[in-house]
Amino acid sequence: MARSKERLRVFLFPTETDLWLGLLRIGLGLHVLLYALSLRADWNDLFAGPGEGLIGRALPEALLSMESPLVPRLGWLVMLATRIGFSELTALSLAWWVLLFAGGCLAIGVFSRTSAILAWFVHLCAAESGGFVSYGVDNFMTIGLFYLMLSPLPDRYSLDQLWRNLSPKDPQLIGFFRRVLQVHLCLIYFFGGLAKCLGTGWWDGSNLWRALIQPPFNLIAPEILIRLKYLLPVGGIVICLLEISYPVFIWDRRTRGIWLICICAMHVAIGLTMGMYLFAFVMIVLNVAAFGPEFSFQLQRTPACSKSGLASTG
Amino acid sequence: MVKAWRTLRQKRVYLAWFVLHFLLIITISCRDIVWLVAHKLTILPAPFRAAAQNVEPIATGALGDKLSTSNPLRRALLTYLHIAGIDRGYGYFAPNIPAGYKLVFELQYPDGQVEYKLPGVNSGAAGLRVATLLDEIGRTRYDPLREYIIKTLAASIWREHPGLKTVRAVFCSLNLPSPAEFKRGKRESYDFLYAYDFSLSEEPAKAKKP
Repeated sequence: MARSKERLRVFLFPTETDLWLGLLRIGLGLHVLLYALSLRADWNDLFAGPGEGLIGRALPEALLSMESPLVPRLGWLVMLATRIGFSELTALSLAWWVLLFAGGCLAIGVFSRTSAILAWFVHLCAAESGGFVSYGVDNFMTIGLFYLMLSPLPDRYSLDQLWRNLSPKDPQLIGFFRRVLQVHLCLIYFFGGLAKCLGTGWWDGSNLWRALIQPPFNLIAPEILIRLKYLLPVGGIVICLLEISYPVFIWDRRTRGIWLICICAMHVAIGLTMGMYLFAFVMIVLNVAAFGPEFSFQLQRTPACSKSGLASTG
Repeated sequence: MVKAWRTLRQKRVYLAWFVLHFLLIITISCRDIVWLVAHKLTILPAPFRAAAQNVEPIATGALGDKLSTSNPLRRALLTYLHIAGIDRGYGYFAPNIPAGYKLVFELQYPDGQVEYKLPGVNSGAAGLRVATLLDEIGRTRYDPLREYIIKTLAASIWREHPGLKTVRAVFCSLNLPSPAEFKRGKRESYDFLYAYDFSLSEEPAKAKKP
């Protein structure tokens, strides 16, 4: 029992440097910047109030209120801004600027914690208010920003650290949050891979074909894909196996590098062939922060953990 | 001594959060997988389906779905799931790629002129979001919700073209050819699903179904 407890403690609270946290902060900061810039021209159309914009936020917010009135939404920010005399459109523009500013501050590490909270909050408001127009990228942004704002910021690569010369953070706490991100990614890929394995279309390549020729993801001409049709089943099976086996091979030092490269290559391919650039970027940032540089997970013999004790070293 | 005790207590709090957080993620992911199996959307044979149908209520019950919508526990749980970004599973593009959808607006001017338009956005990033919206319209089995969303989209077209007499919205599902069919010359086609006629009068939209 005591041995199990010790193994659990060593697994959950490894001593880590904050390089991964720096990577996560810079990566998510850049991602928030790209997200905000990519939606600049459509921001007001997507999130406008009733009687304005493309779809508006009235219905998603009403449905959200039925689930829980406590989930943040753009309606709160608009209400606050209109009370102090701003118009709705000004309030929405203000939210966009705050998001852009928070992304910029995160990327360079100025007021890291406040920026992380701001970016998480405003992005969450947009993702929830645009319920019908939100997709996977919003989910992964929320996950990344949620962990980032809870992590021990600022990291040593931020301008905050340079200017204020703060005392170093608890390395075990830094390790704990990296472990949270790692375990979450393992679950994401395992369940994503499992769901794919349960469909016929990933084994015969038809899903890959359908994904690549379906608008608006059809960046490659079907005539080109037809020439590569024998690769489609191989590609489908490789994706299934890569994802479902991620939680096994990403921890082992001998296979980690190749799995990380393959997963990142898969996301690059998704970005380039389907136009899902933001989705690809956020997944690469999360993967590199979780299992990238300075990560070494190995079986170690320690007095407390005996033969099979698990430990991570930074 | 006090510091060590505080650190120990802090670690216990983090451990409790870790367990609860990942229990929720695993439950949600399992619920989604079980739902797919129970609704015959996977390659698993009938015995698995029967088992999944039995397990599904347990998974949904564990996430408070059976509690009243005003129940504070349910609300607190849903709030946490949303703020942590763990309110849904990870079965993207799985188990199979569903049919895409298309929405076309037929704009009719008072002089008899007819113009066709698609729901328009200014960027590729927003275009992906419109595709998500069309999927939502196509998936919903609740007719009033579908009509409301299409009506809202039609209203945005109307604001851009104030001189219109009527707007007809035609919603179709997309049929994609297989590689072999594509080679034989078959191209993407559309199946008519719904049409709605909107006019400036206060009358409700006239819906047509196949």
